[in-house]
Amino acid sequence: MKSTRYLVAVPAALALALAGCGGSTGTSGSGSTASGSGASGAAGAPTDDSNCADAAVFCVGLVTDTGKVDDKSFNQSAHEGAMAAAKEEGGFYKYIETQDAKDYAANISQFTNKKYDVIVTVGFLMADATTQAAAENPDTKFIGVDQNYDASKVTAKNVTGLIFPEDQAGYGAGYLAGLMTKTNKLGQVLGLEIPPVQKYAKGFEAGAKAANPKVTVATVYHPAADNAFNDPVWGAGEAKKMLAQDADIIFGAGGNTGNGALQEIAKASGAGTDVFCIGVDTDQWDTVPAARPCLITSAEKLISQGVTDTVKTAKSGEFEGLQTLGQAGLAPYHDFESKIPADVKAKVADVVKQMEAGTLKTGVTL
Amino acid sequence: MGTWVQKNRTTVVLAVVVVVAAYVFYYAKNDIAPSMFGAAWDYAIPLVLAALVGVIGERSGVVNIGIEGQMLLAAFAGFFSAAATGSMVVGILAGIGTGLLAGGFLAWTTVRWRMDQIIAGVVLNIIATGITSFYLKSGEILPGVIPNLRVPLLADIPLLGEVFFSGRSWIASVAIVAAIGVHLMLFHTRWGLRTRAVGEYPSAADTAGINVERLRMINVTVAGSLAGLAGVYLSMDASSSFERDMTAGRGFLALAIMIMGAWRPLRAMAMAVFFGFVNAVASQLQQTGGFSVPPQLTGTLPYVAVLVVLAVAAGRVRPPGAVGQPYVKKDQ
Repeated sequence: MKSTRYLVAVPAALALALAGCGGSTGTSGSGSTASGSGASGAAGAPTDDSNCADAAVFCVGLVTDTGKVDDKSFNQSAHEGAMAAAKEEGGFYKYIETQDAKDYAANISQFTNKKYDVIVTVGFLMADATTQAAAENPDTKFIGVDQNYDASKVTAKNVTGLIFPEDQAGYGAGYLAGLMTKTNKLGQVLGLEIPPVQKYAKGFEAGAKAANPKVTVATVYHPAADNAFNDPVWGAGEAKKMLAQDADIIFGAGGNTGNGALQEIAKASGAGTDVFCIGVDTDQWDTVPAARPCLITSAEKLISQGVTDTVKTAKSGEFEGLQTLGQAGLAPYHDFESKIPADVKAKVADVVKQMEAGTLKTGVTL
Repeated sequence: MGTWVQKNRTTVVLAVVVVVAAYVFYYAKNDIAPSMFGAAWDYAIPLVLAALVGVIGERSGVVNIGIEGQMLLAAFAGFFSAAATGSMVVGILAGIGTGLLAGGFLAWTTVRWRMDQIIAGVVLNIIATGITSFYLKSGEILPGVIPNLRVPLLADIPLLGEVFFSGRSWIASVAIVAAIGVHLMLFHTRWGLRTRAVGEYPSAADTAGINVERLRMINVTVAGSLAGLAGVYLSMDASSSFERDMTAGRGFLALAIMIMGAWRPLRAMAMAVFFGFVNAVASQLQQTGGFSVPPQLTGTLPYVAVLVVLAVAAGRVRPPGAVGQPYVKKDQ
């Protein structure tokens, strides 16, 4: 009787260890990264973070938002970008997944305590924790992905907000949807209502209306804050409801929540012929294969590339404080290349080109 | 029949009002109403199944706050078994089996070892989160979909048929059958009487010759299969992917719904549908726009509704007497 209790105690302790308290961590050195891509690169690269204080050792740390590094969306992109940068520079890379928004500052300090050279914080919600840590640690460079700082409040030179013109990507996707829709009804299933998501959404709506003034866009944001980007069941339910209300192209933007919507549309009758979906953040043709039957494109922001480039500027000394602008655009059409009419593709390409040149403004204000 | 109506006057009146209101709305706003009722039921399906797990457990005297973990484990096992074997049937069976196992774990720890029931439930939730995140593999796809079931004749009823008897997978039908079945069994069979006795006053039940421990063990374990089905619904039907912590608090929500439903299966089902409907209203308000309500505000609507219902119900509902207490025979 007594000995059998260990049967419970052992798995319970194991699970506690697995679940972690402040956040789960992974290092590129130990190969425990969720993406599976292993060592941090060149021979002679450091394998732990004990020497990060040494100027010759380049250490990159990344703190995710409450999403995970395998969210097939923005956390994963930033994670891959930071890992690639560390690898190219022969540095050490480690990430911490935040389990609870209360832990942002604690997770950042795990890196600052070891004197990491660059700390990437992912997500709009971490802006305050990031700027505060930057003020306290002037020797460390901070990169806040999706964080838009106010120049009058943030004066530290060691922190930059890496932001993307999401409204342009959304506008391009919306323009395409506006030209493609037959019911003149579009839908958007979104994560939390925060600026990057709002920029996508408003851009999408503006683009759709510019292409087709008759179009109406139904928009829903996930209401609850703590799992807004990780609730595929909710996303699928909303998508189903929109389809039942005759929407024929739906934009899913919000981590796994949006992915749930994409997968639901892929299962619907007429997927790929009458109803379509548009993904977000990365080319979701690759990251969410289950959505392929309906996925005409993705409103993409090049987070990986942006993070990689910005981390490298920290190494090379070209680091620019306050704000760094990344790129955004539309992902390839893949299998829908032949199904989307040529004139539609030409018009969309034209609009994207005008936005890049700066001659076309999306008119999105938050 | 007459006395039954008299005894349940409020319930009957309320039910009639709700049904009439639903039909009026259905015919008045036929462009959006059917999809809203559909969304309400979609949202409610896992909650109904999970609330039944809670009802069976607590009616037998065992608090089950591990429903969240049971669902998560089942969602995980179902999805990955299906992806690995290429068979949806294997996945569904694996999910239900995992639910049973998790139920067995809870039963064993709380009934056999008389562990604190809250702690046992928390342990189950933590184990579920840990194991499912650790062994998670991304990029897997389900081999198929769970087929939709159209119940003949019943599906042709306007509104009710559309929502409850067609356009959804058989798991939805099982949820209805399970709610009715558990109700009938709990209040109209010998098993039900014994279960309620064990949950209300175990020493009296013991004196009457009922094996309290065995009945609790069986009930909690078997109820796990419903949690398993709820998990399967989440990862293989409602969405086609497994994500970490994808249950997103639905197991706890189900417990609130169980309380709102006064530990009665059919009322719990009604409450789950009500909650789903308030959710659908919340998102519809955002979606149609017209008047600009911030989503944060509409998002609180379901929870405000829960508070109102609980405030009205407060004092009128009572949990089973022996819930949460392990039963120890006096002469041991």
